[in-house]
Amino acid sequence: MFLKRQMPAIIAIGVGLFILFGHFINNPNVQGFVNNDATQWFDIIASFAIFLGALNMLKLQVLKVVKKQRNWQYSILAIFGFAFAIFAGFFFRGANYITLTDIHPQNVNKLVEYISTVQEVDDPVLMVKGIQGSLASYEIPKIFISRSSAEAFSVTISGIAKDVTLGVKPWGAHVQIKGSLFSWMFFKIFTPLSSTMFALLAFFVASASYRAFRIRNFEATLLLVAGIILMIGRVPVGELVPWWLVSTLMVFGIGALIAPLIPDKKLLFGIIIGGIVLTSGLGILLDWNLAVNMPAILSLPNISEWIFDYPTAAGSRAIMIGIALGIIATSFRIILGIERPF
Amino acid sequence: MDYMDIFGVWLSVFLTLSIFSYLYKDNPFYKAAEHLYIGISAGYVAVISFWQQIQPNLFGRLWPRIDANADMGMFKSAWYFVYEILNWVSTLGGWLDRSIFPANGIKGFDGISWIYIIPFMLGIFMLLRLVPRLGWLARWAIAYIVGMAAGLRFYGFLNSDVLMQVKAATVDFSGDWWSIFNGLILLIGTLSGLVYFFFSKEQTGIVGKISKIGIYFLMIKFGASFGFAVMGRISLLIGRFDDLIVSNSPQNYYATLWILSAMIVLLGIWAFFDKPETEELTV
Amino acid sequence: MDLLKKIFIALGSMDRRFIFLLVGLSVLLPKLYPDLFTLPIKASSHSQRVFDEIDALKEDSKVLVSFEYGPSTKPEIHPSAIALLNHLFSKNIKVYAVALWPDGNFMATEAFSQVADGYGKKYGVDYVNLGYKPGGEAVVKGLASDIRTMYTVDLLGNDIDSIEMMKDVKNLLDLDFIFSLSAGYPGSKEWVQFACDPLGIPMSTGCTSIQVTDIIPYVENDQIKGILSGMPGAAEYEQLVQDALNERGIVVSPGKASINMAAQSMAHVVIVLLIILGNITYYLTRKSGKKGGM
Repeated sequence: MFLKRQMPAIIAIGVGLFILFGHFINNPNVQGFVNNDATQWFDIIASFAIFLGALNMLKLQVLKVVKKQRNWQYSILAIFGFAFAIFAGFFFRGANYITLTDIHPQNVNKLVEYISTVQEVDDPVLMVKGIQGSLASYEIPKIFISRSSAEAFSVTISGIAKDVTLGVKPWGAHVQIKGSLFSWMFFKIFTPLSSTMFALLAFFVASASYRAFRIRNFEATLLLVAGIILMIGRVPVGELVPWWLVSTLMVFGIGALIAPLIPDKKLLFGIIIGGIVLTSGLGILLDWNLAVNMPAILSLPNISEWIFDYPTAAGSRAIMIGIALGIIATSFRIILGIERPF
Repeated sequence: MDYMDIFGVWLSVFLTLSIFSYLYKDNPFYKAAEHLYIGISAGYVAVISFWQQIQPNLFGRLWPRIDANADMGMFKSAWYFVYEILNWVSTLGGWLDRSIFPANGIKGFDGISWIYIIPFMLGIFMLLRLVPRLGWLARWAIAYIVGMAAGLRFYGFLNSDVLMQVKAATVDFSGDWWSIFNGLILLIGTLSGLVYFFFSKEQTGIVGKISKIGIYFLMIKFGASFGFAVMGRISLLIGRFDDLIVSNSPQNYYATLWILSAMIVLLGIWAFFDKPETEELTV
Repeated sequence: MDLLKKIFIALGSMDRRFIFLLVGLSVLLPKLYPDLFTLPIKASSHSQRVFDEIDALKEDSKVLVSFEYGPSTKPEIHPSAIALLNHLFSKNIKVYAVALWPDGNFMATEAFSQVADGYGKKYGVDYVNLGYKPGGEAVVKGLASDIRTMYTVDLLGNDIDSIEMMKDVKNLLDLDFIFSLSAGYPGSKEWVQFACDPLGIPMSTGCTSIQVTDIIPYVENDQIKGILSGMPGAAEYEQLVQDALNERGIVVSPGKASINMAAQSMAHVVIVLLIILGNITYYLTRKSGKKGGM
């Protein structure tokens, strides 16, 4: 029981206190451990937590297939996807490259032509320049997934340079290099899936806004108006919104604010119309069509920037301080052993 | 472009359109793509974490590269024998090439850091969560992470998110009237927003009025967040459309057009034959 | 008038798939017919601030660029990365890349491959890519103390001490500026809390639109020097960099964010119109409901 309950608490309290007071203890060994090793241990254990998550996912999907639960056929795809990623990461490097030694200068353009048959070359002139600067030893930018395709290409370009050697990128680097099987999986499978999942939300945001975003009270109005001003003001189309439209909307807004104070609707209507006529007249008189003459307050991008810089920043700051105080309190509770989320 | 590249383009278009098909309704294409995504992303993150952290920083510290001819002593030799056993397991009994455990240790660090046996053990304990009888050992590893995060965040949040933000909320009265006005907006907004979140006192009277002002500032903030959220999502949608348009080029054999057409036909057939579950139950 | 009211009320209950189609078309049409939809891009004060901070750096300064985004947020942040690298390389500033997200590695590799060769920059001499490390703020803290405890090799497996530009860099204090390209956690916040505030290193950020309102208090307090907010921010920065480089005789083609601003604008207009339409319908429905109740 001690090992199951008290020991984890002792670890959490000990580590928390050590890391916290490590900021203030001026001992090189303590500072070294707190700043370097402790953070490394955190990273290593976090990596194992990632493996745990992955293995747990695999366990759930396998159980679904074994027990033939609803939609178990799709779980086979999940297992296949995981297996493919593991295969590309640990069992198949697929990062073959070709190095040319002592390239004949007159063959540089021909080499670029050959490279363009296996890889898209955006700027051939730039590539020629790059090769001319590395005639002694040049690694072709194309990475081949299979050894046989690398060999076939090396035979094609064998006359270009004095020596053509095949190599394989080291294990570990193979997961980062564009062109390996793992990177192919990342760009052709993982990227379209994850990007599209996020992009899908654009449609649902539009649909939800249309159906649910309603001016029910003053607070909702504030939220809506701030959102709309920022959405239009932050994009180039905001520059095209004319000053008279902004001034008219401002007059309407002021009218809506003072409406509860003026029971006579005809008077209110008159004030609004008068306001619109006054601002429009002023604008024509002072030639607000010219950007230099126009008051900054009638530019939608300026209004959106002010809303962003001041009221939004104030609200964000209040939330930030609130969250920070909450985190500090929770961290303190963990360090004192009151909170035990494990 | 080689065949793998062209196949990759067609595959990425198919997967993109499969996810987008959800806009019509939940269908087999979407479900299949979703499950593939779950598997691939779990595998991807595991592989990256291993090669970027575990192998170089853990195994590299426990078994750094040594001179094969140097005299190691009995204890160190026994330690590197463990390394060879791990290599034997990882290469499936020597059937595969050396990968995770290269010959004579891992390049990077100079000497063995014995202290790193502790995070190695804690990492193994973390994985034992999958074994019901030994799952409680994972609590030790989680306790380390929780304690470490608590200690790290305490200082970071207190300094940057409280002290510096409180300092920033002050008003500089030496500036022009416009900067003073803006400073007051920031101060009033921050204070009233914080008052709104103070639930230890009933929000009536003057506290209630200040709290109301705080709500207004928070509503403006949420409106701005909404606007930016829409902006972000639209940007991502534009990115996907960009890729679909590029994939529709002659070099890619008009992948988008062909796959979209095929998918519309197949979804149409599926929708025609697909019966809602309630109908099946009543039969 | 009654007919108009009936039309608005009917629109209120339109199938959501029609809304999806409208949004899709508002993005697709400007992409397919870009000449019909061209809009001027004017830099905001925040994007200008970022530009000014980078422009003020001297030749041979050392800048750390942290890639904390992946393919799902690439359209928003990657254009900032490209424009930033153009700006840094044009000023002969040395670039040190790290990633706090695993996907950040590929983003960094792609960005460098797109930009570095055009300026004749050599790996290991002018720029280096150290790669990804898991751990979030723990990594930042480690880098603040000693880079070599985090990284013994770079992304390509080269020993870090064999890299020329790493010789006189021990930790973050040896760098002149930090730029975080951030899509969430870990990201800009962690750089502010564990590197920039404690060590006093100046920093800017390019982040996703969703994160912007959370980061703005740091910007307002000068903890972060300027912010590139999402794709519009990236487009503004691209424009500034393009204009500056064109003045110096370096030809830079328009960036992806700038090209996409028309589509972004149209989509925003459509969504705003939908919200207004939804509220008109709500108002009319409520009014006719009240009248019916009387």
